[in-house]
Amino acid sequence: MDDVAQARERATWIEEFAAAAKRPLRIRMRYAFIKTYRPVLDDEPFRAFDRMTDYRAWCESALPGWLGYGRV
Amino acid sequence: MGAFEYRQAEEIRDAFTRHGVRYLFIGKSGAILLGFPDTTQDADLFVERSPENGAALVAAIRELGFELTEAQAAEILRGKDFVQLNNGPFDLDLVFAPDGIERFADAWQRRIEVEGFPVCHPDDIIASKAATNRVKDRESLPRLRAFRDYWASRRRG
Repeated sequence: MDDVAQARERATWIEEFAAAAKRPLRIRMRYAFIKTYRPVLDDEPFRAFDRMTDYRAWCESALPGWLGYGRV
Repeated sequence: MGAFEYRQAEEIRDAFTRHGVRYLFIGKSGAILLGFPDTTQDADLFVERSPENGAALVAAIRELGFELTEAQAAEILRGKDFVQLNNGPFDLDLVFAPDGIERFADAWQRRIEVEGFPVCHPDDIIASKAATNRVKDRESLPRLRAFRDYWASRRRG
């Protein structure tokens, strides 16, 4: 992305931040939290991992890549 | 189960306060509390790891309606780094050792209070997401950094 496009994108973000700042928190949260089914991740009622590295490794091996939990 | 709501955030705040749980909203849910306009699925809480806080946490989340077995409660009390709860009125991730943040006490010192909700400072939210280095975090980081700058400028007046 070139500098002009970056500046335009940033200006759009600032407009979004300013619009959000005018809304009460209760309303912001209504639009921010969504619930969609995530395969594997939502299939167990409880999971616990001793170390964050264990959790990250599990995400990479068990979750579909398109969920975005894999590391860059 | 529906999406996480303001009322449920209030229930967390009130139950955790009653039981004396030390915690902070972190991740995108924390950023949203600070004003970041974006979407997410669940609430992430950074919880101080100590025997006392663990016991208070277990009592509080049971009071909120999470159905913890004794074995699951024991896992939380033993001090895991990460616990994912899908067994209650809403989804909740409990993080005891987030990437990119050395100590809970440091994050607590820097916390921001929003309508009584204790929230990690945007710098800590960004540090955590940057250290995690997931695809979905890397994509949201430039916008989150821009929000941090906007938020800081508004606080300065």
